[in-house]
Amino acid sequence: MYKHLKFSLYLAIFSLITISSLRAQVSPDAGKELFKSYCAACHAKDMRSAATGPALGGSQQRWGDDAALYAWIRNSQALIADGHPRAVELWNQYKPTVMTAFPNLTDDEIGSMLAYINGVYDGTYGAAPQAAGQETKGPVEKKSNLPMYIIIAVILAALALLLTKIILNLRHIVAAKEGEDYEKKTLWQIMSSKGVVTFLIFSAVILGSYTTVNNATNLGRQEGYSPDQPIKFSHETHAGLHKIDCQYCHDTARKSKHSSIPSANTCMNCHKAIKVGSKYGTAEITKIFASIGYDPTTNTYVENYESKTEEEIKAIYTKWMGDQYKVAKELADLDKEGVKLVEKQWKDIVKSLTNEQKKNIQGPIEWTRIHNLPDHVYFNHAQHVTVGKVECQTCHGPVETMEVLAQASPLSMGWCINCHRQTEVKFLDNPYYADYARYHEELASGKRTKVTVADIGGLECQKCHY
Amino acid sequence: MKQPIDNIWIGQKDLEQDIEFLKEATQEVSPSALTTGEMTEHLSGNRRDFLKFLGFGLGAATVAAGCDIPVKRAIPYVVKPEEIVPGVANYYASTFVNGGDYCSILVKTREGRPIKIEGNDLSPVTKGGTSARAQAAVLSLYDTHRISGPKMKSDKGWNDTSWEDLDKMVMTTIQASSNIRIIGNTNMSPSSNKTLAEFTAKYPNAKVVTYDPVSYSAILEANSLNFGKKSLPSYHFDKANVIVSFNADFLGTWISPIEFAGDYIKNRKIDDVTKAKMSRHIQVESHMSLTGSNADNRILVKPSEQGVAIAALYNSIVGGSMSTSGLNDKAKKALSKIAEELKAAQGAALVVSSSNVVAEQLMVNAINNVLGSYGSTINMGVTSQQAQGSDADFAALVNEMKAGSVDMVIIMNANPVYDAPMSSAFSAAFGKVKNKLSFNTTVDETTDKCDIIAPNHHFLESWGDVEVKQGHYTLIQPTIAPLFNTRQAELSLLKWSESASVDFTNPQPYYEYVKNNWKNTVFANQSAVSSFTTFWDSCVHDGVFNSAGTSSSSFTSVNIPSDYTKPSGKELEISFYETVQLGNGQYAGNPWLMEMPDPVNRTNWGNYLAVPVNFDGVSKMVGFQNLKDGELVELTIGDSKYTVPVIQQFGQMPGTVAIALGYGRTHAGITGQNVGINVNNDLTYVNGYRQNYSSNVAVSTKIGKEKDFSCVQYHHTIGVKAVDTESGKEINADEAALVFFDYFTGAKGFQGALTDRSVVYTAHVNDLKNSIEGLTKKRKHAQHLNEQQIYAGFDHNYKLGHHWGMHVDLNACIGCGACTVACMAENNVPVVGKHEVAIHHEMAWLRIDRYYYGDIESPNTIYQPMMCQHCDNAPCENVCPVNASNHSSEGLNQMAYNRCIGTRYCANNCPYKVRRFNWLDYTTADIFPGNQPKLADENIPFGADNLTRMVLNPDVTVRSRGVIEKCSFCVQRIQEGKLAAKVEGRELMDADVKTACQTSCPTGAITFGDMNNKKDMLSSKLESPLNYIALEEINVRSSVTYTMKVNNRDSALDA
Repeated sequence: MYKHLKFSLYLAIFSLITISSLRAQVSPDAGKELFKSYCAACHAKDMRSAATGPALGGSQQRWGDDAALYAWIRNSQALIADGHPRAVELWNQYKPTVMTAFPNLTDDEIGSMLAYINGVYDGTYGAAPQAAGQETKGPVEKKSNLPMYIIIAVILAALALLLTKIILNLRHIVAAKEGEDYEKKTLWQIMSSKGVVTFLIFSAVILGSYTTVNNATNLGRQEGYSPDQPIKFSHETHAGLHKIDCQYCHDTARKSKHSSIPSANTCMNCHKAIKVGSKYGTAEITKIFASIGYDPTTNTYVENYESKTEEEIKAIYTKWMGDQYKVAKELADLDKEGVKLVEKQWKDIVKSLTNEQKKNIQGPIEWTRIHNLPDHVYFNHAQHVTVGKVECQTCHGPVETMEVLAQASPLSMGWCINCHRQTEVKFLDNPYYADYARYHEELASGKRTKVTVADIGGLECQKCHY
Repeated sequence: MKQPIDNIWIGQKDLEQDIEFLKEATQEVSPSALTTGEMTEHLSGNRRDFLKFLGFGLGAATVAAGCDIPVKRAIPYVVKPEEIVPGVANYYASTFVNGGDYCSILVKTREGRPIKIEGNDLSPVTKGGTSARAQAAVLSLYDTHRISGPKMKSDKGWNDTSWEDLDKMVMTTIQASSNIRIIGNTNMSPSSNKTLAEFTAKYPNAKVVTYDPVSYSAILEANSLNFGKKSLPSYHFDKANVIVSFNADFLGTWISPIEFAGDYIKNRKIDDVTKAKMSRHIQVESHMSLTGSNADNRILVKPSEQGVAIAALYNSIVGGSMSTSGLNDKAKKALSKIAEELKAAQGAALVVSSSNVVAEQLMVNAINNVLGSYGSTINMGVTSQQAQGSDADFAALVNEMKAGSVDMVIIMNANPVYDAPMSSAFSAAFGKVKNKLSFNTTVDETTDKCDIIAPNHHFLESWGDVEVKQGHYTLIQPTIAPLFNTRQAELSLLKWSESASVDFTNPQPYYEYVKNNWKNTVFANQSAVSSFTTFWDSCVHDGVFNSAGTSSSSFTSVNIPSDYTKPSGKELEISFYETVQLGNGQYAGNPWLMEMPDPVNRTNWGNYLAVPVNFDGVSKMVGFQNLKDGELVELTIGDSKYTVPVIQQFGQMPGTVAIALGYGRTHAGITGQNVGINVNNDLTYVNGYRQNYSSNVAVSTKIGKEKDFSCVQYHHTIGVKAVDTESGKEINADEAALVFFDYFTGAKGFQGALTDRSVVYTAHVNDLKNSIEGLTKKRKHAQHLNEQQIYAGFDHNYKLGHHWGMHVDLNACIGCGACTVACMAENNVPVVGKHEVAIHHEMAWLRIDRYYYGDIESPNTIYQPMMCQHCDNAPCENVCPVNASNHSSEGLNQMAYNRCIGTRYCANNCPYKVRRFNWLDYTTADIFPGNQPKLADENIPFGADNLTRMVLNPDVTVRSRGVIEKCSFCVQRIQEGKLAAKVEGRELMDADVKTACQTSCPTGAITFGDMNNKKDMLSSKLESPLNYIALEEINVRSSVTYTMKVNNRDSALDA
């Protein structure tokens, strides 16, 4: 018992010390992680532009009162109810979007987040390491050689024609001198001669094979593929306008080979609050609700949703869509157009959430897969995203500008290999690479300026095929 | 001892320089492999055919190219479970258990489906080791022959029913029954036994009868007499310096082989050559068992001589005058010497016996008592539950059934119609029972004769617990939702006993039941943790819980009856043995185990009659009755006659033959049924105890030849010496083709016709210094040869980054084959079936080569795991016309399947014969069914169904027809390990990369790692002077290192 008491005492002293050193514990790095998990869904990460929520840069100065700001972050609705002037002002600006309450955040954590936010806002965070040694690469201008080739070809052709003419003329002169009857061949005779025909056939075969091989190589490649999806999900809105971090939704990219499509419960993190879309109104977001079984009218999950019939489901969501129509049009009852619209939207929901294999509306949203790797290849997102620190856009293109997502890269082996040849490994930052002692020496002595993926075996078969 | 051959041999065929065998050994694939009868007949073609196929091919390609790319779907979860990250494996601690078979395991699941079994390091019993049976258990989950739901029998066969109807029906039957018997094998689960107790309490006319497919009844009885405890003790083979085993196959099948193998090897490994010390292991047996093959000395006695052999040892050690008449002189002499040795090793000696005669086990106990084994090498204070069957109870049951007094039988995880001794008598009696219910998961022989099936879950779908030894608990937890409409057998019992201790409305009632049971028993009996939730969570997480529970025990001497087995005096005797792969048939339905070669005789897909071979003293091996491998004979045991193929077995005692149990099942799915013969019916009782031998046996002369002789011993051989037909000089068979490449030098052969190849080296522990000197000399010579190259200085040295390598300790390898099955599971290696094995088409990436050495009459054995050696100067790579086989900067010999065009040049050029060609579409990845082979008479080829394919490892390509494959050093694990280190931003550690064979090994014989990392476990192993590289002299620079095999044979026992 005594031992326990002693231990508790130590613990208490230790925690006191920890608490007293709170301010010292604030770190923008920790804040970055916290920001990613709590804020990035609604607040833009550049801290300057407004997204679902306002831009956070400078918010500490705007509030001026840390205690109130901390209370606001923990539970904004409570502060609004208390009538804090700044809170009420913000609410009027952004309602009805409610900021999620985070009652569990410690002062320390909020401090870290604010430090990160301020750091990003005034440009002090993360600036130093970037400045060191990284030269900015200007876009390399690609010069086309085609015009030069055409000029050369024309000159050569003219020369050939000239020479042929000279030879023919000389022959004619010789024949005439020797008194032979030299018959001048017609163009047709020349064109249908054995040599020319053979040459033409040969060229046709070469050209044909070349085209066939090229096309065959492209079989199964679908660069630019942009199919219709069950939900008109806009990356432009989410990643572009609202600046939601890619990995907020595709969270497995950093730890798994797959960058999985978010499950419906991830969507619900935001769409519990944002129930009507800016572009399509209730038409698209209701599909998420119908998939997971969320009743937006009552803001609750439907009990035993799995066992509900289509009629019951229809009742829930047509009511919601109708109500929203009424609110938008400021009507008391649904007009004819409204009924038609709701019916149309409902039909679309059924069509999107069901298919030949999946008869029920409940259950997962079956997206059409865009990025299909060729068979027999192993690709790991974690390797590229976490270890290689490759931006998502490097392979997936400017997703934040795509209203409808399209495949930006060919996903061919040549494309992979090219990148592996050019991309530098994050060699000095990761102690894992200490095993490559010789490269470290060469880098230190200046004999080597960079280590590419190819240098550490990134072009070998069994890095991707096993 | 006649003519000791100071050499190593594969079998009688290479001793005799068998012409047919040499012809096969000189080629990559045997000529028989290329002519597969009807398969190749219609494959001939002329120029017109070629043009036709070309035209068809072009046309097909054009049509295919015109097709749209199919739309693929990406389906996310609705609500993603927290612990699942798609693409990342989860491991759950559980327990593999089947009767007395036990292994504490981790189950690897991917996206919710179990795909691989690993050992659990936290278990003090199995210590992270596994067995072939445990490794293969994951495939049995996806057995297409599993029963899909509750069924009842009608005139037309099995009808589906619902659990409600079944419960109603069973309840009325139970209530109307006056005598209910529950027949099961050993049950080590406390919670399961509690449900049985509840059932028998509710229905006092019900009784549980436990028997085991291979009986330990006499040893239990003897312990009950000597110690008052009807249970097995804990054996500690690691504490024994002298081990004498009377026919107990403790490394392969006896009681707890995973545990014993791990302990046994501790005293057999040579860690420090200057202080080399080894236990001595003497095996007294007639047929070479896996344990016998690992022994230093084998004393040959006929099966019926076991009793007097034990008596002889008893007389010398305990003192007494038990009759030993009829024991052969050689054994008698040897046993008296062994007695001296045992006495000298007082307190570090261990005598075990698999005898099922009480008097013999009493003698063994008395011997152990005098030797001071109790308290040192045997611990009776911690009893093992791994065998509980009683032959007496079982015999009583048969009599009761015969008399018609049993009106209901419930079969719980047992198959007595197949595996009971005198099984036809059992099934006749079984037929008299009115109501028969089975919990079994497949329609086996017993279930087929039942009326109701209430199918149990597979253990990977169940909750449960095991108390393997007193105080050693493990949990079973489900790793997948039940695939079929099955119900836990225990839950069925609780339901029928209308138990109040379980809430049936709970979604997982049996889970709650087990948890409560633990709360009241295991948790209550410990004091380390005060919160049950904490305790339970940690138990589920670890899978194991150990309490220091010991009970007192003292030896009481009893009079030893004289009714032990006396020699039959018959000229021929037969012994029946359990195999590592199939047990007594429990695992016959598992394709991986069926295709795993028997470690000793290396046959699969059938049981073969082992017959002795004798050396004529000059150059010929004389087979028993002039029989040769694969010839059919008529075997007569008592009144039964069987036609069975033979296999010549070194170390088989003259005057004895042996055959494996567990084959010839009639209801075991496509894999197991009608493969081999079933001899369970010929097992007899002596004094009420089941005996695994018969002296009423006759073997005819050759009556035919087996169509598909599936023995892999003579496949993929290396280092075989042959004689060049032209010059008459001795050459290496592998390089026979090169002999003709001699026009410039005039010299025959390659590299100076080096026929003495370094494949394995052996030494005696007392002569280690000389042997090491010899080995060093040979290695120096080989290295000198290797330096004489034209292109010296062009070697890549692989010093940058990683250089993967492996070390195989041949002194630790016991040949159990767990690694071969683990490799098949990890790497999606296909099962090919008996016919394909017979024509050298087996696909195993990892094989265990078996060699004999020493005394030709009673040889010692070496097991050499042989896989791709990842040569840094690989001959396979140079010959590939498309560069599909090439080398990585990390020293891996890479195989790019999609680049391979199937010339098989690489396989032809591989000196270790480890490359495998997909002759047919074994993985059924092809769209043309004609290319897919069938294992038996199944409708669709094995593995073509979606259920079986769930076992595939998604990180490893499924190879299709026409490509070569081979061991990749588990490159998927290497990449995974490297990534883990990179993500965590640290250097690679030992534990990051472990190959499948390494993790499965119960003795830690295999070590894998980065040869450039001096902190690695591998680096310390690579320093041993016992190390050598197989075929070092051919300069292929292999990355696998083996150790010299050391024995502790006592030549005095051979005299």
